[in-house]
Amino acid sequence: MDKKILETVKELTAEQLGIEVDEVNEKSSFIDDLGADSLDTMELVLALEDEFGIEISDEETEKLKTVADAVKYIEDNK
Amino acid sequence: MNLPKLKIGNLVAKLPVIQGGMGIGVSLSKLSSAVANEGGIGIISGAQTGFREKNFRTDNNRANVNGIIKEIKKARNLSPNGILGINILKASNNYFELVKTAVKEKIDLIISGAGLPIKLPSFVKNTKTKIVPIISSGRAAKLITKVWKKRYDYLPDAIVVEGKKAGGHLGFKKKDLDNNSIKPLKEIVKDVINVINPFEQKHNQKIPIIAAGGIYTGEDIKDFLEIGASGVQMATRFVAAEECDADIEFKKAYINATKEDICFIESPVGMPGRVIKNHFVEKYTNNNLDSVDSCYKCLKRCNPKTALFCITDALIKAVNGDTENGLIFIGENGYRVNKISTVKEIFEDIKKSFDLKKEKLNSLI
Repeated sequence: MDKKILETVKELTAEQLGIEVDEVNEKSSFIDDLGADSLDTMELVLALEDEFGIEISDEETEKLKTVADAVKYIEDNK
Repeated sequence: MNLPKLKIGNLVAKLPVIQGGMGIGVSLSKLSSAVANEGGIGIISGAQTGFREKNFRTDNNRANVNGIIKEIKKARNLSPNGILGINILKASNNYFELVKTAVKEKIDLIISGAGLPIKLPSFVKNTKTKIVPIISSGRAAKLITKVWKKRYDYLPDAIVVEGKKAGGHLGFKKKDLDNNSIKPLKEIVKDVINVINPFEQKHNQKIPIIAAGGIYTGEDIKDFLEIGASGVQMATRFVAAEECDADIEFKKAYINATKEDICFIESPVGMPGRVIKNHFVEKYTNNNLDSVDSCYKCLKRCNPKTALFCITDALIKAVNGDTENGLIFIGENGYRVNKISTVKEIFEDIKKSFDLKKEKLNSLI
């Protein structure tokens, strides 16, 4: 897993959810572990799109459950 | 100031009042066309619209598509020149097919809440149908506007801002309602205006903001116009209209309801819903409801294995007149409904109280 992408995703996630970066690890589930709601998820997707210059469709958004899922998606589509 | 017109793109309603969609079956062709004929915007409920179709149980999706086609055609016949819309829940399992059907039937506008209708613009490009999301916070308003602009180069044609006094399902958590931590609608409307204004400036396009939830009189309308809303959405007020599509017993339940009779239940989709206390709600409170034995698969987040009741069956019972064994959604001000009147009379009363407020203000100056 690309360390740099992982760090950026962790930072953006923490920023979006108003939590500390230490609380986020690659196994964290956005909804179950970090308490994200549907607005948080959508906002995070937009932030990731801007940061990495990618597009994440609604179908893909639903599949991105954890930080690792997001990192993998970015690696594959960047 | 007289009651201003409401402009949504090229649609111009004589009165700044949208009649809120009420499901199941409470606002269909009769009520929506009556409102449209008086100069408001009439909204057909897109929730299980096919509930009177023969194949409703066996082919729910098809029945609802047919129901929508029939109600739009009937409403259009009754109000050839009025503005007619449909409210389609984002949480519907066959959401996109319902939306496509309404667009094909040339509905003037689609109002959509119960989730973020992210993909909605893709269904109306190059059509005349306007799309209006329902949101309950400035944050959600900004998000949907940003996503629509980014993905589809489309700005909402209007935005309905629904506060905590609305009827039926609310977009708030039960615990926040209980501990009173939700902002008053006026505050939320101001938040929305603040976050939407930069989009309007940047793209030189007006996005009318419509206040909804607990609006009952012309004075209420004036209050919201004064803080920058372009119109209001009212639903509960129209239930006891002669033209309302619900059974007379449903209307009587509104007329007889007192303030104390209005309470919350947790709906099977996990959202709080405001309802009239009756035998059904008592059974619900005492955990005494029959188990759910069949499922329409109508809502995305409803699981028949864990649901305490089938919300479709409960709402249909009520709208058909079994007001003790069915579920009756109502807004916080529903106890103020005290008689059957025509839609025309309701609008006259609204105009009168709007003018009254104007006089009161003038006498203060």
